[in-house]
Amino acid sequence: MLILTLKKEWLESKREGRIIWLSSIILILLACALLSSWHSYQQLQTQKQQVIKSERERWLNQGEKGPHSAAHYGVYIIKPDTALSVLDPGLSDYQGAVLRLEAHKKNDTLFRSIQDAIQMQRFGDLNPAFILQTLLPLLIILLGFHSIAAERESGTLKQLLANGLSPKSFFTAKVLALTGLGLLFFAPVVLYLVYSLLFNDGSFERGALFIVSYACYIFVWALLTLIVSSYARTARSALITLLVIWALACLLLPKFAIEDAANRYPTASSQVFQSKLESEIYTPARQQAIAEFKRATLSKYHVDNVDDLPFAWSGAQLQFGEQYADKVFDRLFGQRQTQLEAQSLHYQNMAIFSPFIALQTVSMSAAATDLAHHQLFSNAGETHRRLIQATLNGDLKDNGKASIRNNKSYQGDHHLWEKIPDFNYQYPAISELSAHYGRAAACLLLWLAVLFSLSYFAIQRIEKEGQL
Amino acid sequence: MNSDEQTHVISVTNLSKHFAEYQAVDDISFTVKKGEILALLGPNGAGKTTTINCILGFLKPDGGTVSIAGIDPAKDVVKARKQLAYIPEQVALYPKLSGLENLQYMSKVAGVNKNKAQFRELLERVNLPKHATDKPIASYSKGMRQKVGIAIALAKNAKALILDEPTSGLDPSASHEFSQLIQTLAKEGVAILMATHDLYRAQEDAHSVAIMNQGKLVHSLTGDGIKEVQLESLYLEHVRVASTC
Repeated sequence: MLILTLKKEWLESKREGRIIWLSSIILILLACALLSSWHSYQQLQTQKQQVIKSERERWLNQGEKGPHSAAHYGVYIIKPDTALSVLDPGLSDYQGAVLRLEAHKKNDTLFRSIQDAIQMQRFGDLNPAFILQTLLPLLIILLGFHSIAAERESGTLKQLLANGLSPKSFFTAKVLALTGLGLLFFAPVVLYLVYSLLFNDGSFERGALFIVSYACYIFVWALLTLIVSSYARTARSALITLLVIWALACLLLPKFAIEDAANRYPTASSQVFQSKLESEIYTPARQQAIAEFKRATLSKYHVDNVDDLPFAWSGAQLQFGEQYADKVFDRLFGQRQTQLEAQSLHYQNMAIFSPFIALQTVSMSAAATDLAHHQLFSNAGETHRRLIQATLNGDLKDNGKASIRNNKSYQGDHHLWEKIPDFNYQYPAISELSAHYGRAAACLLLWLAVLFSLSYFAIQRIEKEGQL
Repeated sequence: MNSDEQTHVISVTNLSKHFAEYQAVDDISFTVKKGEILALLGPNGAGKTTTINCILGFLKPDGGTVSIAGIDPAKDVVKARKQLAYIPEQVALYPKLSGLENLQYMSKVAGVNKNKAQFRELLERVNLPKHATDKPIASYSKGMRQKVGIAIALAKNAKALILDEPTSGLDPSASHEFSQLIQTLAKEGVAILMATHDLYRAQEDAHSVAIMNQGKLVHSLTGDGIKEVQLESLYLEHVRVASTC
């Protein structure tokens, strides 16, 4: 029955012509988007590797200088990409790819692609995820809206039923045929994933999540299309209903969900946040805390003057200042992170109403281009920054005393710089991050379950053909 | 099961169906035997199509039973439908597919397992012009579409053939050709129920005639009686009488 239906649908579509053209356009768009993303990804990876290498050289070859000067000299770390980011760049363009690590500051990432984008790009970026998440459902609708409704209108459905057709087999074959067609458009993506797995160090776990979630999404749209087509009296009304559902699910609800999330869980603007950071770190309380630390240290070593301490006071004071600022960073960045996570969860909750939101969330997670992965990178960067500061301040504290005695300023050299390890961050396995996309994945499965249930009624509706 | 029951391919017993206040079919009974053609006559709204829809299992009767080759469509509609073929006034086919492709799809959906050559033979058997076999249905005349419908019935080896106004809109030559085809099918043992307004065709082809009006079976004729009566007068008499009751 499936092969029979596929063959018949294929023959009709081939002779229809428009469907072939439409499908070809989508396939060409997908191929172009895939090639263009792949090309950009390759270029970016080459550049990133070069930057990582030259940045390490810059750090190691900075010459002799005070450790604190080196701390201000800073290092740049590069955010890693997964091979899946070619398919779904997610929030990457807005997140930045480089983080500067320096003394006293927890910076935001730099080099956000959106800053370099031309103005027209605000109308939409052509990437594989956009085509698969937004255009593919539209194509599935255009391929399948008439599938049952037109058979009802033309009388062939009654003819088929009178011939002994089983409505269940008929509906199942139509769903599988439409899903199969939808999956055909996904084939280039699967090929790319296999390639990335074999030759590009791709993650099997992430690739599997990506494929399964998109297959579910295609299945959801095929089911939805055919359920509506089963209920609609005419193909035209089926098309209108489906286009409204598509516009709501893929265009309007995501925008609304973002706006709603931002209103419910507001975050301060970047400038306000930065000035709040400054104002909360450099306060009289900080001066007081440093004075208290000094008093406690002098008391601990039973001396009256920092010059009499057995180590360089400046190193200890700098490290104390860092740790004081770290607490403020943890609190303020933590508050901001809580708000951002609340926004993200609120957006995910809207996946109950939109399979697009469900898939988008899971897809970005699999591709490591979502907020959670960005935060993991930022946190890893911050841990590295604190390690650098602790190493440099510790070195100044331990070794700076001798230079002070000789009335010379202490200088670190490449031995010290080499103590700072490479920043070589790798994202954790996607299964460890299920808290960030689990709700969306559950919504996608819920959509499938609900549509499966509605399929029963759609089959009943086909069975009742002729009574109405 | 007695011999009569065995030969009765279509049995309708005390069938009733109403829609809200409207009694579309009111306690009618008839049978169609193997190889018999029964013409179901009646004006528009008499209940012919409702009766056919009950036989096809598209409508559930409010009372009475229907049996197709011993299977009640109300109990197992798919199995009952496997035993019959249905040709409506307008045979619904896929306009973009050829006659052959339509026949193949419609038959295979019904579980018929034949090869392409066998399907071609069937189209030849119903006298579909050879040049039309591979042309899209959109270019077919109504008569040609009816022939594809008959070919579907042949392919299924249907025990019963249900025709709803099959000759409506056909020219006399096509109507004659169609009549010959169904007579051939009857000779092969197919039980044929034909709802029609075409009194001439009913008198020529049918072995039995049943006249319906306002949901009731108002008169029945069988055998030579059909040829001997003035069917038109009888029809008008019963339709008029029933209407004025």
